[in-house]
This record gives sequence, C-alpha cells and structure tokens, in this order.
Amino acid sequence: MKFPNRAVAILIVMAALITLPWWSGDLYKLHLAALICTYWVLIGGLNLVVGYSGQLSIGHVGLLAIGAYCFAILAGTHGMHPAFAIAASGALCALCGLLLGLPSLRLPGFYFAMATLAFALIVTEITLAQGNLTGGGVGLPVPGFPPPFDTPRGTYWLILAIAVLVTWLAWNVARHTWGRGLVAVRDSAVTAQAVGVPVFRAKLTVFVFSGFTAGVAGALFAVLQSYITPDTFVFDLGLFFFVCIIIGGRGHIIGPAIGTIVLTALPEMVAPLAKLGNFFYGLLLLAVVLLVPEGIGRVFEILIEHFRPRRGESHVVKPDLERLARAIENGQSK
Amino acid sequence: MTLAARDITKRFGGLTALAQVSLELKPGEVHGLIGPNGSGKTTLLNLFSGYYRPDGGNIVIDETEISDATVQKRAGLGVARTFQKPRLLPTLSVLDNAMLGGWRDARAGFLATAFSLPQVKADERELRSRAEELLHGVGLSHAIGRRANLLEHAEQRFLEIARGLAQRPRFLLLDEPAGGLTPAEIEHLGAVIRVMRESGVGVLLVEHHTDFVFRISDRVTTLDVGAVIKHGTPDEVKRDPEVIRVYLGA
Amino acid sequence: MRWMFVALITGLATGALYASAALTYNVMFSTSKVLSVTTGHISMLGGIFGAWFISTLGWPIPVALLGSMVVGALFGLLTDLIAIRRVLARSDEHLWLLSTLALATMVQQAAGLWWGTEPKPFPRLIPQDFSAGLGDQKYWLPIAIAILLAVALEVFYRRTLYGKLFVAMSEDAFAARARGIPTGRIRSMSYVIAGAMGGLAGFAAGQLTFAYFALGLTLTLNGFIALAVGGLGSNVGALVGGAALGILSAVATYFVGGEYQQTISVGLLMVVLLLKPAGLFGSQSVRPV
Repeated sequence: MKFPNRAVAILIVMAALITLPWWSGDLYKLHLAALICTYWVLIGGLNLVVGYSGQLSIGHVGLLAIGAYCFAILAGTHGMHPAFAIAASGALCALCGLLLGLPSLRLPGFYFAMATLAFALIVTEITLAQGNLTGGGVGLPVPGFPPPFDTPRGTYWLILAIAVLVTWLAWNVARHTWGRGLVAVRDSAVTAQAVGVPVFRAKLTVFVFSGFTAGVAGALFAVLQSYITPDTFVFDLGLFFFVCIIIGGRGHIIGPAIGTIVLTALPEMVAPLAKLGNFFYGLLLLAVVLLVPEGIGRVFEILIEHFRPRRGESHVVKPDLERLARAIENGQSK
Repeated sequence: MTLAARDITKRFGGLTALAQVSLELKPGEVHGLIGPNGSGKTTLLNLFSGYYRPDGGNIVIDETEISDATVQKRAGLGVARTFQKPRLLPTLSVLDNAMLGGWRDARAGFLATAFSLPQVKADERELRSRAEELLHGVGLSHAIGRRANLLEHAEQRFLEIARGLAQRPRFLLLDEPAGGLTPAEIEHLGAVIRVMRESGVGVLLVEHHTDFVFRISDRVTTLDVGAVIKHGTPDEVKRDPEVIRVYLGA
Repeated sequence: MRWMFVALITGLATGALYASAALTYNVMFSTSKVLSVTTGHISMLGGIFGAWFISTLGWPIPVALLGSMVVGALFGLLTDLIAIRRVLARSDEHLWLLSTLALATMVQQAAGLWWGTEPKPFPRLIPQDFSAGLGDQKYWLPIAIAILLAVALEVFYRRTLYGKLFVAMSEDAFAARARGIPTGRIRSMSYVIAGAMGGLAGFAAGQLTFAYFALGLTLTLNGFIALAVGGLGSNVGALVGGAALGILSAVATYFVGGEYQQTISVGLLMVVLLLKPAGLFGSQSVRPV
C-alpha cells in the first residue's frame, strides 16, 4: 500500500483497538480481546521463527507455560512487582529458547518439530513433578496487575500496548535486511550462505527472540487466567499458535495477526466449532496446505493484484551499461 | 589481489573429480573455464565458493589460506557467485532478491533492526538505491517490483547477477550464465560481463558456449576428466590440438 | 526384586510398540522420503477399532484383527492420497510435515469425539487368566508382533518383486521412475502396508496401552525417538531403538518414579544424536529431510 493510505489504515485500526472497551459490548468480549492480544504477543514473535525463517516449532506452548509459571511464582509466591516479574519471565524464556534452540535448530525439519513437541511435553511433566515449586496438579493462583492496570480495561490496554510493541519490533525485522535474510534461510539456505547469512545464528537469534515474547505472553496469559494448572498448557494450544501463522501466511505480519483474531474468536462465536475444537484447526490447516499453501494473506494479495490496472508485461532484458558501471564503482568505493 | 586454486584435488568416494588443478583469477580479468560434461568445472567453482573442501592443495585469496573457510566467510571476503539453476526467493520481489546481496554490509544487528534505529534506515535506503541501479544496469528496469516467481528464465539469470553485484564482490563466479539464453540475450550478458571487468571485478566464467567464452575472456582454462589440459589466451587455447581433440572427438 | 522384572518386561513390551511404529516410519519413508506425523495414529486406530469390533460389535477375534489391519491400511492410504500425493509435487520442502500434522490432528480429535477421551479397556485376545504375571499376553503379544513385522519386512524386501521395487525406490526414486517403475502406485502400496502393520501393532498392544485416543501423538513422538536412536532406514535399528527406549523408560520409572518419562526418553535421544547423529544403525547417506 502506498504511504498515506497505509498510515491512514494503521491510524484507523489503532483507534478501533484503543476504543474497543467502549464498542465491544460486554466484559466477556473485552476479556476475549485481551486474550487475542496476549496470544499475538507470542505469535508475533513466533512468526519470525515459523513464517520467516521457516523453522516449524509446534511446541512453543512450553515456553508460554514457563513464562506463566515464572510470573506466578515471582509475583505471587514471592511478591515481586509484576513489571519486574514480566521482564524476568521474558528473560527466562529467552534463555530457555537459547538452550532449546542450540541443539535442535541444527536438526532437519521433522526432527526439529518433534524436538519442540517433546519440549512441550517435558515442560508439562516437570510442572507436574515439581509440586513444591509449581503446585503440581493443583496449580497456582496468579496476582493481577497493580493500579492503574487492575481493571479489565486497564489490563486490556496494557496487553494491547505490549502487543503493538511486539508487532512493531517484528515488522521492523521483517522489512529490513534481516527479514530478507530470514526468508532466504527458509526458502534457499544455499543462497543464504552465498550472500553471507550465518544460517544457524540467524535461526537461533529469532528463536531466542520468540522465546522472550513467549515468556512475556506467558506472564500476561497467567494474569488473564488468574489461576494456572499444567492442564492450561496442553500441546493443542501450541498447535493452535502454529496454525494461526501457517493459515495467515508465512512471510507476512498482517496475515497471521488476522489469523490469530479469527481463529481465537471463531470457536467463541460459533458454538458447534468449539465442540469440534482441534478438528476444526486441523481441517483448516489441511485445506490451506492443499489449496493455498502460502496462506490466506496471499489470497488477499492476489485479489488486490486483480484490481490493479494491468499494463502490458514486458520480459525483455535491456541493460543500461553506464548505469551498471556507475553502480558497481559506487559499491567499490565503500 | 588474486583468488587462486593451487594444485587442487577433490575426490567423491572412489571418483577423482579434480586432480592437481590450478587456476588463478585476477581482478579486472575475465577467466573462462570450459570443458566437457563431467570435467569438473562446477566442482572447481564449488571449491572456490566454499561448498566443497579440497582433499589436496589449497584455495587462497591474496595469499590468505581459505580452503577451510565457510561460504559465508568467503562472501565476506568478496567472493560472490551465481548458480547453474537460478536460485531465487520466489515470494519476494525482484528488488528484494537483489537487495539480499547487501547482507554482508548490514552493520546493524538484530536488536538494532528490531528498534529501527537510524543507522538501519540509512543502510536500507542506500542499499535500495544501489540495488535499483544495479537492476537498471543489468536490464531489469521493467521488473523491479515484480514477484520473483513470475520471471522468465533470462530475467532470473540477470537477477542473480544483480544480486551477486550487490554483494560488492571482488570476484564474481558465474556458473553457466548463458544456459538457456537467446543469442541477443547472450550479447547482453557479454556486455554486462565486460562492464564488470572494466570496473575491476574478477570474473570466473564457467560455460558450455565455447564461442562466447573465447570472445569475451582474457584467459581460458580447459578441463577434461578433472585435469587441466590447456591454459592460456583464447587464441592459444582455441588452436591447441588437445582441446580440439577433446571437443571434436579424435 | 520382582518389581524390577515387571518394570523390565513392561519396558520391553512398550518398547516393542515403539519399535513397530519405527518400522512403520521406515516403510513409509522408503518410498516417499516423508516422515509422517500420522504414524502413531495408525496404531491408535488399530487399538480403538479392535476394542470396538470385539467388545461393542461382538466380532470374533480373528475377524476383528483383520478389521483393525484394514482400518490401518485404509488410513495409510488416506494419508498418501490426501497428505502426500498432491504435496510432494510442489517444491516447498516441508509442506508434507504440515499436511500430515493436520491429518493427524483431525484423526485424533475425531477419535476423541467418537470414542471418548478416557482410555477404555481392551479385551482379552487369547484365553488366559489375569494371574499369569510376567507371562501375561499384554507383554509378549506386542513383542512377538514387533519381531514378526521386522522379519516379514526382511522377507518382503529380499524375496518378493514388490519388495525389491521398494528398495529400488528408496535408493534412487528418480532412477526408479526413469526405468518405468510406477512410483506413485508403489508409494501408495507402501502406505497401505505400513497402515496394516501399524493397525496390527496397535491391536496387539491394546491390552497394554488401552484403547485411548491420545495415544497417537505420544506414539508418533516415541516411535520417532526409537527410529532416530536406532537409525533412520534400519529395521534392526528400529527394534534396538525401541527396546532401548522402552527399557530405559521402565527402569527410570522404577528408580525415579514415572513423572519424568518423557524427559528421560528425550534425554536418551539427545545423547545418541550427539554421539552418532545418524543413529546406532543408521547410515550417513540416508539424509532425513
């Protein structure tokens, strides 16, 4: 989209989001909006891993759980100020992302996916086993935010602000050199190497970043739930995050964002879908993979292309040798 | 200031792909590398760019040993390449594909990029304008905003060259760039390579189109079954009886 | 002391189920170079349908056995037709991971909705009272089937024409196609065979695992661990990997308690992969994608 149009669109969307508590209706819908924003904090970071660098992590729910428990233990059991607890959750999960990514990111795709699945299951095991720390199967209560964020509106606005920040960070990475490098890692590692991208380090960097956002999301999630047990963090949730990105479209920011909104809200609004649960997500994923593997975001792109004025498409290569010489010399004088 | 292979030997299992092959690439020079199928041309190119390690001999750049250096490290030292079958990022635009070559210049790290610091924005602007100029230069003005998977074969080849040039290379290794091009397009390719040479880039031209190679190269090396059978100026090589025998059959 | 033996034999039996899953992985991988997420779910269906056929529909046991194998074979074919066939044609490398993951999710949920989310008991297959202890069929049935499947595969690969075609395809699919081998049909056949194998293994292990919808995912994971430890592409490796995993889990349970099972199995995997990335019996040339 051209500059003024995009800025206007963003302003409209931001205005709608900020004023949501007033037009959304009941408290339940407000809570749902806050939940969607929380999911997006995780998914926005995970998007760089799955959608851009192409690493199919299906077990990020494990990091969400670690972040949630970290917050509940620090802010609840130990009475730490929630702001510090959130930061600590993020930092801890960034570290976990590093420890998980170091051995597993070198593995081929299926192995890596299984490693992340195992990670999610292991986190559940450990939270159940370490009852002294985590409350075991009984779980832990979670304190709320301090004023002024202790009201439903205040909670929503805080989470919205964090979600917007994560979106901005991810968008910056995606549209600059890093973003292109990540896409190269995903689509052609040979090319990535040829232009000098440190493939493993790039994958690990975004994975650690996604760990940080997952940890922060975990803390926010814990507050929204107000009570967490190991059952809260089933593998199905990790699969859900992953599906939002694939359906929304890899290599996009907006697509997965819309995917998150739709896939979270849909089962809430359409009751039969809620009963189907994961079957619905699996079906959607299958449909997208078979029919529009680039995701729904791509479908919109194609539609927009259709309405753009068509000019005759040339495919003739005609070098401009003077410009070429100048461009090469320009590069050499750096 | 040369990129050189010295007495390179490369084996794959029981097969010796290259035996004691030497080749020196100088800046501002076009060095042609020809030979029948299976003679080891692409293997040598892969050894230069770092996808293979030599079993014997070494690769040096300016007298620095780089035989064990990674592909990325060599890219950082100014070695760029194109591929026999063009490797592009199909979901990105032509411009983004060309800008990919600017990775080595990206001074800002991940966090600086995430926070969109002024340095990042400045680097991006500079890279964008340089990539655009390169794309105009190689002849892709008409396709700058197009998605890369919509390009035809010739356009893909020239895009790879633009991307390679975006790396600001000292040496550009071209892997059969004329493959699938029409005579007119090959003329354009020749003109582009000449400009590169005039600007001081050292070009290694691995090719099957021997006429084209002889026309445009300053020096030519001929391989056959993994060994150098002749090295010299195009005229010398063209007239060498061994070369003629290998190409025309005894 | 007796409890140690029970732990060991339980470990061997569960390990045998993992080994069967690893064998199933191998068969599907050989012709498609795909590791399907639906692998564990085949055995899950074998167990659930077996219980349904015998307990609910009242079928005689041999018929139910055949029925479970047919269900498995059909699911294998379904995996190939829906998740693999169209996807392999595209250049995007990991689409099959997504499609098999999607299919596996759908099957697991559907099974949960239909059968219920509680594990239900699996009926006795051979007349035997429950005091047999270590000799109980729930232990040696899975073990016997795993060995039977491995032996049958070897015979199939070495002595039958179709088996040799499988081997040819697994070594070089491109060359196989160039020589006129109908690779698409061979691949479908391999998925059908893998499905029947998985269904049989799930049926045989039903008394050990109970008929449980959530078995699919854990078996996909543990079968994969057995496969990776033993070495992708090796049937002997599958047996050894499964046995190692099963025994390790059981022994760890005996000493440390059952809470860290998954952690320990993954620990085993990590250790083996660090020391020998291709697995105990794997060859370097087999590159898993």
